[in-house]
Amino acid sequence: MELLEYQAKELFREVGIPVLPSQKIAEPRELKKLQIPYPVVLKSQVRVGGRGKAGGIRFVANTIDAIAAARAIFNLSILGEYPKFILAEAQFNAEQEFFLAVVLDYDLQCPVLLGSATGGMNVELLLENLQQVVVENDFSPFLARRLAVKMGLKSQLLQSVSDVIEKMYRLFQENDLELIEINPLGVNASGQLMALDGKITVNDYAWARHQELIALNSANQVSEILDSTQPQWSWYDDKGKVAIICNHPDLALLTWDLVVQNKGKPACCAVISDVDSALAASQQLSQVLAQLPDLKGLKVILINILTDQATEQKMIEAIAEYLEVIIEPQPKSTGEERQLVANGALVRSRPTSANKSSVNRKPLSSVKFVLRFLNSKLDWFPETELEKQVYWSQNLEEAVAQAISLVKSK
Amino acid sequence: MNLSSRSRILIQGIDSPQATQYALQMKAYGTNIVAGISAGLGGETIAEIPVFDLVEDAIAKVGKVEATLIFVHPYQVLDAAKEALAAKIPRILLLTNGVPPLDLICLLREAKKTDTLILGPGSSGIIIPEKISLGKLNPEFYTSGKIGVISSSESLAYEVVLELNRVGLGQSFVVTIGNEPMIGSSFQQWLSILATDSNTEAIVLIGQPDSSQLEVANYYRNAKLKKPVIAYLVGLNAPKEKIYRDATTIIANQLSYSVSTDNNHNKIVNALKQAGVLIAKCPSEIPVLLSKTLLTEKLTQKN
Repeated sequence: MELLEYQAKELFREVGIPVLPSQKIAEPRELKKLQIPYPVVLKSQVRVGGRGKAGGIRFVANTIDAIAAARAIFNLSILGEYPKFILAEAQFNAEQEFFLAVVLDYDLQCPVLLGSATGGMNVELLLENLQQVVVENDFSPFLARRLAVKMGLKSQLLQSVSDVIEKMYRLFQENDLELIEINPLGVNASGQLMALDGKITVNDYAWARHQELIALNSANQVSEILDSTQPQWSWYDDKGKVAIICNHPDLALLTWDLVVQNKGKPACCAVISDVDSALAASQQLSQVLAQLPDLKGLKVILINILTDQATEQKMIEAIAEYLEVIIEPQPKSTGEERQLVANGALVRSRPTSANKSSVNRKPLSSVKFVLRFLNSKLDWFPETELEKQVYWSQNLEEAVAQAISLVKSK
Repeated sequence: MNLSSRSRILIQGIDSPQATQYALQMKAYGTNIVAGISAGLGGETIAEIPVFDLVEDAIAKVGKVEATLIFVHPYQVLDAAKEALAAKIPRILLLTNGVPPLDLICLLREAKKTDTLILGPGSSGIIIPEKISLGKLNPEFYTSGKIGVISSSESLAYEVVLELNRVGLGQSFVVTIGNEPMIGSSFQQWLSILATDSNTEAIVLIGQPDSSQLEVANYYRNAKLKKPVIAYLVGLNAPKEKIYRDATTIIANQLSYSVSTDNNHNKIVNALKQAGVLIAKCPSEIPVLLSKTLLTEKLTQKN
């Protein structure tokens, strides 16, 4: 979860990292009550990068200009994101700009301190001079000094920059951060430091245990955290023919690979999860089917779900319901019977207006289902239809081959 | 690894419905679960397993244990694992997903000092077919034999084992290391464990391609293992969002505002091939490669 600049700066202020006086603006007219003396900088509060180049940062000298600039910024989408706030901030005359960061390194399995004496907008130059200090054991301030020395800093700047790094590390550790970055850290003529822009990403797993960060974020932003209990389609390919549904991300990757290897074209993919979710797997299946993207070329829905027989049964019911086939409740099988027997009690139901309106179904007459289930056979799907719509295989590679031959048969 | 149906096992967080459910499944398979831990429920029994308030109480009462399975909430995993470390339990299996990485870093540092094995987080456990099951793996899928399987997740292990079973190749040892961004024991560590396991004749690795397979390639080349190793990597074709794992690349990528399209997949596959690891392209190719190499091995041994 990434914080916005103004939120990051609130955390900076709390630990004593120097930031400029600033004010959060929700509407252009609030600028009339601006407490900061002009000239000021107005900065679009969006998460995506590149806002400077996109026109999301404006320098203004008076209220009239400020209101006009603020209107323009509120109406400017940066890579699809409109700001909810603008940060109005005092100006600072930086003579030098540094880059500082603390990042979680997953290969090394520890945090890493990063710094560049050439911070700012020139990314190539910044990276060229990027220095790194690995925090293998407990952090101690000498590691911050080691980074500052590597950056080529001396005397007073060596001390003051180390001090900022130390404070950044404290925020990193205390708030379970994934990344904390200051770019640029400005230095003015008198050697004063100022965090001019900041970025903080909180680790998604740890987010929930930081009430203070949740409070920092307004309610509408918290809702932007991806809800993992809601399965979603991803990996769209407009020209794809096969939609894939699996019950584990790894299984989705494997199935996708097999379709591609067999010269099939996957269209999209959804992962439903039978653990850690409020919704039962079959409900999630219904949900993803209802949200099936409207892709013209879509021919086959390939479902590869490894689960127990009871869950498979519920999945099949969900598919039948989607196809508007009603399955009469099966007599409960007693004992260890592994194969459910089809009783032929299948009726094609007339879609009622009630269930038509509840989900946005698209006509699926041309789309076939290929199911890969381990236990259940599909004897209870109707064979009487003009053409079969649901296929089943116990073997994944056979199921993939079936899906691809169905794509080709049309 | 010296685990058998006689191995004495502990479950921390036994009161959660999930832990209780899997405790019953493991017991039914013959796993010797000697105690469960749940603070406040000491003196009770869950799934016919005696429950203690503290790990040290349990060990004082029932004796030493070979491994502990941790099922607690992600935010309590560090604490539970520290309790297990304090009681000198040599193997800690973390079945929980979503452990904050800074907690894990702290735990891994502690575990390293005492050379304690950490599996997971997010592991589905270990199974030695017909001997012992530790974790969530559904024992029905596995058959006893000579093939070691190291998988990132349960579902990939199933896909491979289904193919092995089809041609009558049973498994000597199956471990799921978890597919969280950060985990304890790696592919390479388990490869070195199975390399010395006398019941294992060949080893299959299944997971997504990442830097951990470069470690495997390095290890395999240098250790000069006699046992054939087959790797099956998934996600080579999927348009998965690339995940950057090292600090410099994370920063470079973040600053340049673009997701670079280069991939390391070829590099990883080539490194494995050069080290002598056989690469399977699909699940059904695994038994084909295995039968071939095992047959060649037997022939060379005879001659």
